[in-house]
Amino acid sequence: MRQCYFVGYRTAGIVMLTGFILGFVLTLQSLPTLQQFGAQTFVPAMVSVSVIREIGPVITALICAGKIASGIGAELGSMKVSEQIDAMEVSGANPMQYLVVTRILACLLMIPLLTIVADGMAFLGGFAGINIKGGMSSILYFRKAFGGLSFTDLYPAIIKTFFFGFIIGFVGCYKGFNSNKGTESVGLAANSAVVVASIGIIIVDAVAVQITSSLVYN
Amino acid sequence: MENIIELAGVKKSFGTLEVLKDINLVVKKGENVVVVGKSGQGKSVTIKCIAGMIAPDAGSIKVFDDEVTDMDEDALRALRVRMGFLFQSGALYDSMTVRENLAFPLRRVLKMKDEQEIEARSVEVLEAVGLSGAIDKMPSDLSGGMRKRMGLARTIIVKPEIMLYDEPTTGLDTITSKEISALICSIKEKYKTTSIIITHDMACAKITADRIIIINDGICIANGTYGELESSADKLVSAFFN
Repeated sequence: MRQCYFVGYRTAGIVMLTGFILGFVLTLQSLPTLQQFGAQTFVPAMVSVSVIREIGPVITALICAGKIASGIGAELGSMKVSEQIDAMEVSGANPMQYLVVTRILACLLMIPLLTIVADGMAFLGGFAGINIKGGMSSILYFRKAFGGLSFTDLYPAIIKTFFFGFIIGFVGCYKGFNSNKGTESVGLAANSAVVVASIGIIIVDAVAVQITSSLVYN
Repeated sequence: MENIIELAGVKKSFGTLEVLKDINLVVKKGENVVVVGKSGQGKSVTIKCIAGMIAPDAGSIKVFDDEVTDMDEDALRALRVRMGFLFQSGALYDSMTVRENLAFPLRRVLKMKDEQEIEARSVEVLEAVGLSGAIDKMPSDLSGGMRKRMGLARTIIVKPEIMLYDEPTTGLDTITSKEISALICSIKEKYKTTSIIITHDMACAKITADRIIIINDGICIANGTYGELESSADKLVSAFFN
């Protein structure tokens, strides 16, 4: 629960803000083009599909890689430097179970939830964006947005967020746990946790899109 | 008296650096053995080998007659429950309060569930180390001496049979060093522990040692009581006492 609080609650603010701006900007950018074809009513559906399928999960995961993986890497790295992990181990406790498993489980649980929150905020951002240039009632907007979605848009996206959560938790813990002993190593552990987790997320996303395209959308 | 810790022919290298060349030592039940030596001579590596944190390249390490080098993780964990290790820095869990630090080994290692008993034992060990008022403080609020005491409290809370002290008085003023040394003696009396104390501090050695072992260049060069070694004709040995 404590790790869920650190991973989830403390990251929710930045994820909500980013999600809102994402939906807002996506709407403002796509609206003029679709207006040229008289297809502005498709904007909510376009935004919802883009956000749910791809942008929401990936951007949320990248933000969490920056905030959570680096935090875990730095925390465990500094615990290693200050011999706290050694102290835990030599006391007969299992640091792997207490420090690693709890953090990975928290990421597995909270990243999908944060993604859902970010997606919801992106919908609201899209609604704000569409009402800046013209007007659309909230009922019409959300009916169009949800009408554009199908179940096959939702579940592959949710499934991949669990993989993203695992990558963020695992990479952060691995880098922190295996950092060298020295204050510089703490920074390096945090830094490389972000880089490796971000690359991992992008690679997993590319693979997930390939699998989803061939299995679900065909 | 039975042997609690026995090291025979222990060798350990880090890359090309041969730290332990041939360490042989025996610690009997209830004894306080102080290991003295210059920096980088392998004193800390020796006790980390005893605790199973570092695997030696060769030699035998027996604790309670069990060979540490043959132990798997589960056996090591079971052994470590009977062993306390005081780190030089105290190694307090800095995201937890003093109370949580003390409760951690009780909940996680001894699997205690009774919160009243956990609280009672925490209060008892804090009183034993003279830190009664610090139970709700964070480690960052404690001074160097208090951190050492707190580290000691967290170690003795599980009532270990063996205590391994890694430079318990380093970085402390003379008065606090004497207090910590006296505390080590009182822990031996109260908890009937067998201890190895790594130190450079000869004042600490004088107060705490039943026997002193001097390590130099990866081997034990002297073994005896403080009085015996203080009057040794060996220049290297006597250099530690002058």
